[in-house]
Amino acid sequence: MILFGLLIVPLIAGPLSFLLRKRSAMEFVNLSAFTILLGLAIALGARVLWSGPVSLWNGFFYADALSALVVLLSAFVAFVCSIYAIGYFRRDEAEGVFLENDEPGETLVEQKLREYYTLTPLFVFSLVLVALANNLGILWVAIEGATLSSVFLVMFYGRDTSLEAAWKYAIIGGVGLSMALFGTILTYYSAHQILETETLSGLNWSVLIGHAAQFDKATMRLAFILILLGYGTKAGIAPMHTWKPDAYSEAPIPAAAILATGVLNCSIYGLIRFYILTAKCLGPQFSSHLLIIFGLLSVAVAVPFILVQKNFRRLLAYSSIEHSGIMVLALGWGGVLGILGMLLHMTFHSVTKPLLFFCAGNVQQHMKTDLFSKAKSGLIHSMPVTGGAFLLATLAVTGSPPFSLFQSEFTILRAAFVSGYSVLGYVFMAFLIAIFAGFLAHCANLVLGADPNLPRDDTDGWKKYSVVGLVAVIVILGFWIPAPLFKLIQSATAIVMGG
Amino acid sequence: MYFVPNPELGNKIIILMAALVLVLQIAAVGQRGIISSIRIFGVQSFLLAGIATVIAYFNKAEHVYVAAILTVLLKAVVLPRVLERLVEKIGIRREIEPLINVPLSILTAGGLTLLGYVVAASFYHPEETAGPAALGHNTLPVAIALFLIGFFVMVNRRKALTQVLGLLSLENGMFLAAISLTYGMPLVVDIGIFFDVLVAVMVLGILVFRIREAFDSMDVSKLRKLRE
Repeated sequence: MILFGLLIVPLIAGPLSFLLRKRSAMEFVNLSAFTILLGLAIALGARVLWSGPVSLWNGFFYADALSALVVLLSAFVAFVCSIYAIGYFRRDEAEGVFLENDEPGETLVEQKLREYYTLTPLFVFSLVLVALANNLGILWVAIEGATLSSVFLVMFYGRDTSLEAAWKYAIIGGVGLSMALFGTILTYYSAHQILETETLSGLNWSVLIGHAAQFDKATMRLAFILILLGYGTKAGIAPMHTWKPDAYSEAPIPAAAILATGVLNCSIYGLIRFYILTAKCLGPQFSSHLLIIFGLLSVAVAVPFILVQKNFRRLLAYSSIEHSGIMVLALGWGGVLGILGMLLHMTFHSVTKPLLFFCAGNVQQHMKTDLFSKAKSGLIHSMPVTGGAFLLATLAVTGSPPFSLFQSEFTILRAAFVSGYSVLGYVFMAFLIAIFAGFLAHCANLVLGADPNLPRDDTDGWKKYSVVGLVAVIVILGFWIPAPLFKLIQSATAIVMGG
Repeated sequence: MYFVPNPELGNKIIILMAALVLVLQIAAVGQRGIISSIRIFGVQSFLLAGIATVIAYFNKAEHVYVAAILTVLLKAVVLPRVLERLVEKIGIRREIEPLINVPLSILTAGGLTLLGYVVAASFYHPEETAGPAALGHNTLPVAIALFLIGFFVMVNRRKALTQVLGLLSLENGMFLAAISLTYGMPLVVDIGIFFDVLVAVMVLGILVFRIREAFDSMDVSKLRKLRE
């Protein structure tokens, strides 16, 4: 019942917004749908902790602790973004942003808002479906669905650069996903010889995991490489990351925040499901080496671009490449510490990243630019709430104590030393320090400094609630993780470890 | 007396059609007109549906018939029609300008076909499975070659629409791999994939149209404002 609710709520909310047309009605539908979704996701987490995996329709949908965690994170991000979106788009509308590129008229604003409020619930529906689909083919269909529903969100503002970003996003994503589909087919093939079934359950993860040890090894090896390249493209790990800075800097802020956390988590989730199968079939060694190479490469690629970055929205994209690299790296280092560190990192990153996007969005709407050089420093004077939150989020996302990302990065680093990759551990640490220095220098320059005497701008309630609320969550999580959440992460770790 | 299906005959038909699919793919690489590339894609999809039907018949796998019918409807009829209408709407008459000239492109496609055989040989063991179950397994190298040549087309052609065609032939390669290795994915998955392909072409079509309007060209190398 919970699973059905989780899927049907966003699926209804999208078309409903499309039919309602009125701005206030669409805002209400989105906000209430995502509030219900968050409630259901929490209920699912509790249910999985209480009585084990839940399934629906003969195991067509299936949720264990790992799925429940990913659904919870997607729902959380969708919820905070729906609050922020209300303030963000009202501001856009008041400033006539939508009218810039086209002839003036009431209808264009309405049409644009309708586009956002219809596509976002469908986008979130795909993300929830990714985590709840038991069938690995349906998982692929859902990730492709998430890509297709978000292409128009990337293209939202209709500028030349938005078209370019959307084209790159669609084509690179399409090629990546076709590799992932090939990997899925090969996995089915290697299982097919053992299971001797042509029924639907032949691709069900919960069925496959029981037989993974007997799969054809050579096929599984090729399948995992294709899956890593495919879902890695969607997660934005190097060298398939090139779409990321463009898409993140062109999409409207709430959509970009969902892309940076929801899509990232879901692609990593797809990778983890195949990782578990591959580890069971070939032993952890094989996948581990590949994951470490790609993960470390992503962190390394992010370093120079963060150090010299001129645009604060692209800075966030490179930070996202870094974090997906860290998660992949942690999966590669493996062991209880590595996996636990990765899942903690995924959780904390999903809470922290939206705040950074919201702050960047506030600055952009205030200063009318996304370049550091054009935005006047001394943000703390004109936008005290945003400025303070921006600095706090910067410290949090670069992994400085006492914020929670420090704990997860520390756990991952310990995993590196425990599993015998101490040299790579030092290299990883050096990268993290460089990123910390670059990120903090950029943001401190923007936030601190003399008062530029700009008009004060921190008035909008919706934007303020979402920023302050997230700050509270981040500070609390830094000192105290709710026991049930930690329990959920621990059971998810056990699933990744042992299948 | 009734007709006894002879797997040997089925195998021959499949190999013949797979060979035609490969020849068409290489012809598409050498093709300069956009309309003829679209038609080649349509014919190729039709042949793939033929292969699927033969496999479905000899293995008595009913759900593969559905996949075959969907392929004919979607990839051989609807998509080529949609793409041709898009070409008319945009009004491009100019030919495709590949980065690498035609003879060298065809040579590269030949090389990629060889690579397909090498990759397929590494994990495919024909001697282990025999009889009707092994039917169509030897089209795997063709599937991998289609996949690789699709990549090459996407890199080699700068027009937005030809990149979409490259993506579609990647998709065809995967369909061939799926039906020849495992007689198709479970039906729900197949339908999901077809639906996604359809939506993807619509979305990309709208994008192509908007790019054409904004840049007055379909040349994706003009999309270079977003740089570090």
